[in-house]
Amino acid sequence: MIDAALETDLRLLNLQVESWKKLHNLMTCGLDKAKPLISVEQERQFTEVRGVLLQESEYVLRELNLAEELAGKTSNVLERATSIRGVRELSNDDTRRLESDWNAVFTKLGVMQGQLKARRKELLSRSVLGESLSRIFARHPARR
Amino acid sequence: METRLLILNSDPVFQDTALAIFDVIPSVELRIVRSLNEGIYVLMREVFDLLVVEGEPAVAIEQATNARQHFPSLDILCLISSRPRNLLVAEADLQKVSLIETNVPPAQLQRRLRKVVADFEVKSGTSAEGIDPCHSLVGNLNQFSAAEVLQMSCLGQRSGRFTFKSGRGTSEIYLHHGIIRHAVYGSLDGEAAVSEIFRWREGRFYFEEGIISQIQTVNRPWNHLLIENLQKLDETLGPISNFSHS
Repeated sequence: MIDAALETDLRLLNLQVESWKKLHNLMTCGLDKAKPLISVEQERQFTEVRGVLLQESEYVLRELNLAEELAGKTSNVLERATSIRGVRELSNDDTRRLESDWNAVFTKLGVMQGQLKARRKELLSRSVLGESLSRIFARHPARR
Repeated sequence: METRLLILNSDPVFQDTALAIFDVIPSVELRIVRSLNEGIYVLMREVFDLLVVEGEPAVAIEQATNARQHFPSLDILCLISSRPRNLLVAEADLQKVSLIETNVPPAQLQRRLRKVVADFEVKSGTSAEGIDPCHSLVGNLNQFSAAEVLQMSCLGQRSGRFTFKSGRGTSEIYLHHGIIRHAVYGSLDGEAAVSEIFRWREGRFYFEEGIISQIQTVNRPWNHLLIENLQKLDETLGPISNFSHS
């Protein structure tokens, strides 16, 4: 069976993970000392991805019940990384903090993505009737 | 067999009515992109059965029209938030783009979208290809310049039409037995159009074998045009590179 709520959560999570990956790719460009030039196009892409994350993160994390755990780290990353050039000009300590916060968010999202995919796989092997019955019994445990 | 849908939606988190319906249709695999550029990039690398463009009628139909230029045989569906003007409907019709309005009751929208997917299941095995079979050569201008591809085609005595597409617009160069016969870019034609195309460093090109122009606007041999335009390019780039090194 297909659980609509689970599918929605998974879609939101996939979109969020994709945006975090794109942000990381562009942050890495800023930190790569071997590539001194940052193009206008790269900065445009960075602003685009950052704008998407600023707009969507709070809502998505709330929907996934991750807001309490990740909201602080998410806003730290988005506030510190203002542009690719900005990332390049961060001090070593700030860069380390930025990477650590990004990693914390990405790790948690990745773990949750795996859990939801496992749940989806499990549900696909179940029938609608079986799932409804298991929900009913879970809600009303046997009385003694 | 799964039906693969590529969804172009600039705001998939907040505008997700249709996405929520596609989510629960069995045997559908979704890939969501937020911009047309990203969509074209993905379509060039992967095979999808249907491109679904979601948004305001004018924007969605314009994006679908642009996608059609790149992929002439791809099935394209526009999910539009309101009834479009007749002009837009005509444009969609011309580009063989199907339209479905999303401002209808959810059950009705669900029925329509399920039908779209079901139709694809019926004709499984006839997936739309990313690159149209009528294109005998397809590539990116940031990997091969216009000069390089034209040089290769002229030496090979090819006859057909090159179409170049970039952010600046679309241009065409017609070859006849390895000789440039006609070129057009916006209001420019002939050698002026060729010169313009030479400067493009980003965009896509494709070549369709056997399409011949009846008009002749270019009269000089290819190698003369090549030398002249490369000289012009050097003169343009020279001062810029001096400036950037100073």
